[in-house]
Amino acid sequence: MPPRIIKYTEAIREATDQMMETDGRIFVVGLGVSYKNGADGTTGGLKEKYPERVFDVPVSEGSFTGMAVGAAINGLKPIVHHGRVEFSLFAADQIFTQAAKWNYMFGGNNSVPIVFRINVGRQWGNGPQHTQSPYALFGNALGLKAVIPSTPRMAKGLLVSALRDKNPVVILEPRWLFSLKQDVPTELYEVPLNQAVVAQKGDDVTVVAYGDGFISALEAMELVKGKASAELIDLVSINPIDYETILASVKKTKRLVCVDTTNSAFSIGSEIIAKVAQHGVSLKEPPASLSCPSVPCPTSTALTELYYPTKVDIANAILKAMRQPAIIHPLSFEELHLAPPIIIP
Amino acid sequence: MSSLLSAYKKMFLIRTAEQEIAALYIKNKIMSFVHFYIGQEAVAVGVCDALEKNDKVLGNHRSHGHYLAKGGDLKKMICELLGKENGSSHGKGGSMHMIDKSVNFVGSTPILGSVVPLACGTAFEQKYNKKHDITAAFLGDGAFEEGVVYETLNLSALFKLPLLLVVENNLFAVNSKIKDRRSENYDIQKIVTGFGANYVKADGNDYDDVFNKAKKLLQEVRAGKPAVLECITYRHMAHSAPIFEEGYREEDTPEKREERDSVKRMRRKLLESGVSEEAVSSIEEEVKKTVADSIEFALSSDYPKKESLYTDLYAS
Repeated sequence: MPPRIIKYTEAIREATDQMMETDGRIFVVGLGVSYKNGADGTTGGLKEKYPERVFDVPVSEGSFTGMAVGAAINGLKPIVHHGRVEFSLFAADQIFTQAAKWNYMFGGNNSVPIVFRINVGRQWGNGPQHTQSPYALFGNALGLKAVIPSTPRMAKGLLVSALRDKNPVVILEPRWLFSLKQDVPTELYEVPLNQAVVAQKGDDVTVVAYGDGFISALEAMELVKGKASAELIDLVSINPIDYETILASVKKTKRLVCVDTTNSAFSIGSEIIAKVAQHGVSLKEPPASLSCPSVPCPTSTALTELYYPTKVDIANAILKAMRQPAIIHPLSFEELHLAPPIIIP
Repeated sequence: MSSLLSAYKKMFLIRTAEQEIAALYIKNKIMSFVHFYIGQEAVAVGVCDALEKNDKVLGNHRSHGHYLAKGGDLKKMICELLGKENGSSHGKGGSMHMIDKSVNFVGSTPILGSVVPLACGTAFEQKYNKKHDITAAFLGDGAFEEGVVYETLNLSALFKLPLLLVVENNLFAVNSKIKDRRSENYDIQKIVTGFGANYVKADGNDYDDVFNKAKKLLQEVRAGKPAVLECITYRHMAHSAPIFEEGYREEDTPEKREERDSVKRMRRKLLESGVSEEAVSSIEEEVKKTVADSIEFALSSDYPKKESLYTDLYAS
């Protein structure tokens, strides 16, 4: 079979379409999801194909999210789309307090099979109120499952798994990755919701990353080639976190670099480093935690180029862990501000 | 049994059960909030009697009455209040989380206003699957001030969903008066009808008025026009404890509550209509025994095992 290279957004759209074909309980709800290029293309054309199952809605996130949760309580399988994480916070009660708690608070036998697709994080020029990455919020919410697809293949497989799961699943989709391309199987397949993936094997340093940070880390692997043997882990799930995979790797490498694309307070990296310490893994070097500065993400490119950890930052953290000199590798404007125009292997 | 007598039996059951629950609460047998329904019985029973068996009901923090009126299991309810394994949620929910799906009581959820979009989604499923059932949700006048309620009036009218919101206006949000919470020009009828839903006001201390108005309203609800039934009623006890604190009250004085008490009025009405004192007393004795037996059962039931702390986080 020749490779079939499609974009991240196309992979999401395909998974949605194929799952809707197989399961009449699935419907899509969100602002503008019925547009021809709805939800950045991820719901494009679905309204024409499933006119009774794709719903544009009033600008009332609490209400339409709650409606979807209520529908899930009664056996339907909604996909709720929020184009920005900030919009979804209007529906915090319905996501965190209703959907996430329903099964537990009624002592089981009360599943809420719903998928919240929430776009998150960096995108040029979006400023402090359209780029937040409150991953800790979703990692901390008991009763939710929360995943961050880092590649098109992952985006399709995780959405399929989420739609086959009985529980509320939050898929945090970094907008930065939307035009990323990869060879994606045409058939339906699942990617486990609770397993980190060792994307590249190595012996010297464990690098844990997720989402857009994972792509930067993947590029950093090229920069350290021949200098350090890094093991790259795509975290995939932040709720729950797959500590087994991380601990197995860190016990082998004895060095740890965590990459966050959010600020350091209560970050995923802090959580992982704490857990590794609690397990008594003795590291050869202090663990590194790369993250964003503790200020909101500004708008000007002159400032945002300082904001997210780059592939060079990650490479140098790996080299530092190996007590090797840092590399000097100036980045172009495009490299600093746009997702890399690469085809993910 | 005549329908009035059967309605009285349900109202008397709610009243008696809650009086006994209050006694347990005072003895520290119930270690959680309990929002008592005493005084509001005509609303739950009037509305639920107007519903069909397959219609669904959701409730709020004050839902013992809604649950029992819909036919929820009394033993499971009292076990739940006492935190016992035999409870409807095996002790994980307690008083504020009533559920009995076997009688289409979908669940109650205590965060004010949250139940409204969830009920909207319940009605959405009924329409999506082309059922002819409707969904009724109970909320208070306090919850009716949450933004999500207004959003959902719009959404349910837009989607033509079979949704009935029953607003139990007991004059207080905790102890805050309506006049301290709403402008003097606030007009609930204009608000609701302005969204494209129907609005009817009923005397929530009168079973017949609630039942008749709900029955009529439900015809259009069933055809896809959502509605609000506002029932003006009196909460006899404090917001969340079995005490009769009076300082903040203006209209609903003890005398007024006694005079307008729906359970007592219903009893008088039954006797006036020719039902014998004996017949009424015999039903009352039967209910008292049912409640006493249920409490006995709950008190002797086991607590959940410690391991169950960790079960049910996810459905499998």
